[in-house]
Amino acid sequence: MIANTQRFEQKVFQIAELTNQVKELRSEFVDRRSELMKLKMESTVSEKMIEKEIFPSTVPPIKIKVKKEEEKSFFKKIWQ
Amino acid sequence: MAVEDKYISYRIYLVAFAIFLMAIAIAVKLTNIQWVEGDYYRKLAKERTVKNFVIPANKGNIYSADGSLLATSIPNYEIRFDAVAPKAEAFEKNVKSLSDSLASALGRPSNFFENELRKARANKNRYYLVARKLSYTQYSKIKSFPLFNLGAYKGGIIIEQETVREHPIGKIAERTVGYERTSHGGALDGKGIEWAFRKYLNGKDGKILKQKIAKGQWKPIRDINEVDPQDGYDVISTIDVYVQDIAHHALLKQLELYEADHGCVVVMETKTGHVKAISNLGRANDGTYYETTNYAVAESHEPGSTYKLADLMALLEDKKADTSTVYDSKGGVVVYSGKKVNDSHKGGYGKISLARGFELSSNTVLVQAVYNAYKNEPSKFVNHLNNFGLNKTLGLSIKGEGVPYIPQPSDKNWSNISLPWMAFGYGVHITPLQTLAFYNAVANDGEMVKPQFVSEIKEWNRTIKKYEKEVLNPRICSPETILKLQAVLANVVKKGTGSKLYSKDFSMAGKTGTAQVNYGKSGRSGMYYASSFVGYFPADKPMYSCIVVVHRPNTALNNFYGADVAGPVFKRIAQKIFTDAPSTNEIKNLNRKIAKQENNYDSYFVKSEKKLQLIPNVKGMSGMDAVALLENLGVKVRAIGVGKVKKQSLAAGQNIVKNTTILLELS
Repeated sequence: MIANTQRFEQKVFQIAELTNQVKELRSEFVDRRSELMKLKMESTVSEKMIEKEIFPSTVPPIKIKVKKEEEKSFFKKIWQ
Repeated sequence: MAVEDKYISYRIYLVAFAIFLMAIAIAVKLTNIQWVEGDYYRKLAKERTVKNFVIPANKGNIYSADGSLLATSIPNYEIRFDAVAPKAEAFEKNVKSLSDSLASALGRPSNFFENELRKARANKNRYYLVARKLSYTQYSKIKSFPLFNLGAYKGGIIIEQETVREHPIGKIAERTVGYERTSHGGALDGKGIEWAFRKYLNGKDGKILKQKIAKGQWKPIRDINEVDPQDGYDVISTIDVYVQDIAHHALLKQLELYEADHGCVVVMETKTGHVKAISNLGRANDGTYYETTNYAVAESHEPGSTYKLADLMALLEDKKADTSTVYDSKGGVVVYSGKKVNDSHKGGYGKISLARGFELSSNTVLVQAVYNAYKNEPSKFVNHLNNFGLNKTLGLSIKGEGVPYIPQPSDKNWSNISLPWMAFGYGVHITPLQTLAFYNAVANDGEMVKPQFVSEIKEWNRTIKKYEKEVLNPRICSPETILKLQAVLANVVKKGTGSKLYSKDFSMAGKTGTAQVNYGKSGRSGMYYASSFVGYFPADKPMYSCIVVVHRPNTALNNFYGADVAGPVFKRIAQKIFTDAPSTNEIKNLNRKIAKQENNYDSYFVKSEKKLQLIPNVKGMSGMDAVALLENLGVKVRAIGVGKVKKQSLAAGQNIVKNTTILLELS
């Protein structure tokens, strides 16, 4: 009975410790994430690029899509 | 023997009696405690060791449309110092280095901290405040400082935690994301999305019964909670952080450039009314800008020229005039009841069509058109404005929406100049967001939708509630009128007051506005301008509409007009959205041969294959080829410019000396 209670109480201490750890980790996550958010904003990037004389583009990038001609299989060739 | 046996036994009786009395007293007291006062003490004992704990519900997060966190709850830290806890030698050894570290972390001089810490120790202060509101990063740094790293018992560090609301993207859109707080009176109060959606965000607190155990901890008495806490739901807002970022910084740049008092910008998705970005910046005393008031939502003011779209819509609907009807701008001045209506261009524009008058934002043309058409029945014009929804609030989810105002002919203060003044946006009040909703209706082919800030309420991945688009007015005017208005708005940017914004790469449509504010008060000395631009893009297939309003720009440079002050913000946002979507080119054949290219390549190939002994003639060769060719020969190449080689510093036919530098001029 006493041993059982002891073990239970140990668990309670452990939970309290882990909860604190969770809070700290969450806090760290939000902190880092907010740092990242600021770094990846276009305004931050473009400000850093000014000294390298790279400015935001006025035209969108052009995607070139190559259409591959479908190789007709032997059977299709027969039946065409 | 003086004492007789009889007396001895009396004495014994007496002592026994006294002891008996005491025993009775104890029994009475015990009975009293156990039964008479028993309930009270049992309750007291229970209170000391068993307590009902509140399990706080986790508040939901606010996310942006692209999944970034806009607001979340995290603990922040307060560090205090128990000055009595550390031993004298530990304190003396570390106090100097601790003060230095604190100075670098908290931005105060080192001797300040040393004095304070010593004072706290001298005064036996066991709870000296070192710093509060620390983020996790700051906290973990301070925790590792000398003395503090010894822990609570040897180092005397006391850590306290408090849950606060954090905005990971910082000051951006702060006002719209909002807050909830307890005011001094204890009542809850708040702003923005946080306040409007608190019902979903907050959740319900739970309860649990716990018993005290060692180390100041409490253990739960039962396995289950008395009341389970319900976590708050997450709110998915419509704000796109990338557009928001651009809007915020573009607005900030213009406000700083013009030293303006305040300004706002709103970007809205045309089809759905989802607000993609909303930024409100006001100037503080030191000249920096902050999100202080939600101007876009709250500030109802005289709009000026942007109101002329309503004139045009009413005139076209009633077929009182057409876009081609010609008006005389009468030298730029027309007079009603002794009051002048001026054009911003001195001398007017001569005789021009109504559409051209709108493009050039001619006050005289529009005022005459409206006055001539409705002077006998002003209520017809005003009813149109009412029907366009310009006299009603939009019923936004966030509180504090400004109330628009249109004078009615039945009102007491209706005067002869009410109608002509209304025609160029004076004597009426409207908020930027309401103006935007009106222009958006034109962009959306006549369907007026309600601006929305939140698209969804979620619990993890499960949708609790979705906010569909809300149609305020399915058709504010006929499709023919809409087509004409769209053409005129596009022309404003092509060849009207907004021509400075014109870009050959992407199309925009809109209307400039430069309103005088406070013109009536204090003999015009308090008068200032509010420059605005409202419109949509792309012009032919509107996807987004946007309004920019800047109040009190610096007029010293005489370019305080809507197109100068507000226009660039609009253009930057349009450009951002335009350049974000790559245009796609499809090609079928990768192996197509172009004769000229093949020729070039072959001639280069021949040259590069030859084992050259002398510097070759590279004039006329493309720079890229020349560099490769020369570097393969072991010469160092410096090239200036781009294009083809115009000049080479080492003449053709010279001997090759390794590591000499050849200078190429390209053009």
